[in-house]
Amino acid sequence: MKFKSPPMPSAEMDMTPMMDLTFQLISFFMMVTNFDQTQVDERVRLPTDALAKPPEMKVEHELVVNIGFKRAKDGSRLDPLPFVFLPGEELRVPEYKQRLLQEARIYQAKSVKLADVTIVVRADADVPTGQVQEFIKLSQDAKFEKFALRAQQPTD
Amino acid sequence: MKIKQQEPASLQQQTTPMIDVTFQLLTFFMFTLKIVGPEGDFNINMPPPGAGAAKSEVLPDIKVRLVAAADGGLASLRLGERQLGNGPGAFQTLNNEILKLIGRENSARSKEIEVEIDADYHLNFDFVVKAIGACTGRLSPDGKTIIRYVEKIKFAPPKQNPDA
Repeated sequence: MKFKSPPMPSAEMDMTPMMDLTFQLISFFMMVTNFDQTQVDERVRLPTDALAKPPEMKVEHELVVNIGFKRAKDGSRLDPLPFVFLPGEELRVPEYKQRLLQEARIYQAKSVKLADVTIVVRADADVPTGQVQEFIKLSQDAKFEKFALRAQQPTD
Repeated sequence: MKIKQQEPASLQQQTTPMIDVTFQLLTFFMFTLKIVGPEGDFNINMPPPGAGAAKSEVLPDIKVRLVAAADGGLASLRLGERQLGNGPGAFQTLNNEILKLIGRENSARSKEIEVEIDADYHLNFDFVVKAIGACTGRLSPDGKTIIRYVEKIKFAPPKQNPDA
């Protein structure tokens, strides 16, 4: 006599709830990711002021420059002088002059007037003011005219 | 003769590649996420040297002087010749004094008058931003809009690094 064996229970897991959750997570991260802030360097601890409100209108041409310190894990400075942070490299403020001239040439090649370009200075709260002024002077030498100093709103 | 029927092909879609891609997307967004608080800008008026910006003869510049302590802290804050101290209250006093100088908020004077910030080389940038904030104005009681006192703010010519 031939016996028919009962079908084996399926070993496949039901992936639907996991996929639902994963898509919800992706949607969340897509919503909260701000691609405008790609030029922001996390090493810079901005000064705080209650009046530092995000601008209502976006500036068309802006060059964001991060000036800050290399710090140890405890927050102490590894070097007394600040650096200009660029993707993958750090330069001293006077060394950034060549980059500014390069940026100026790029804007001119794109037929953008340098008077319409705003240089956004994201300087660390502890940077000596003289260094920020030196940077502004270098930018003026490269024919940039508009400047904005970036600050953060207090968190409390 | 008994003909054995072929089993129908499975209609279930292969979800493994989709899951792979989805997890890669999730990982990408997780690693690229930067949690940054709201940031705002203070515009400063810095025409290139020799540009000869139109200057009001009637309204002279308001001069704000910030003197640095040895550690980069604020030793003293002055408005013209007047000492305003060096504590957190100094910036509030500066804010009140600027309002007295322009007369009232958002007046025509606030568009014409210019503040010159003269800070020592080693002064921490934080204090300069606080001084600029105090000169710019104050927040409305609902905290949503800025009531402007002064719109034009510039830096005094840069000082030499005393350590150089």
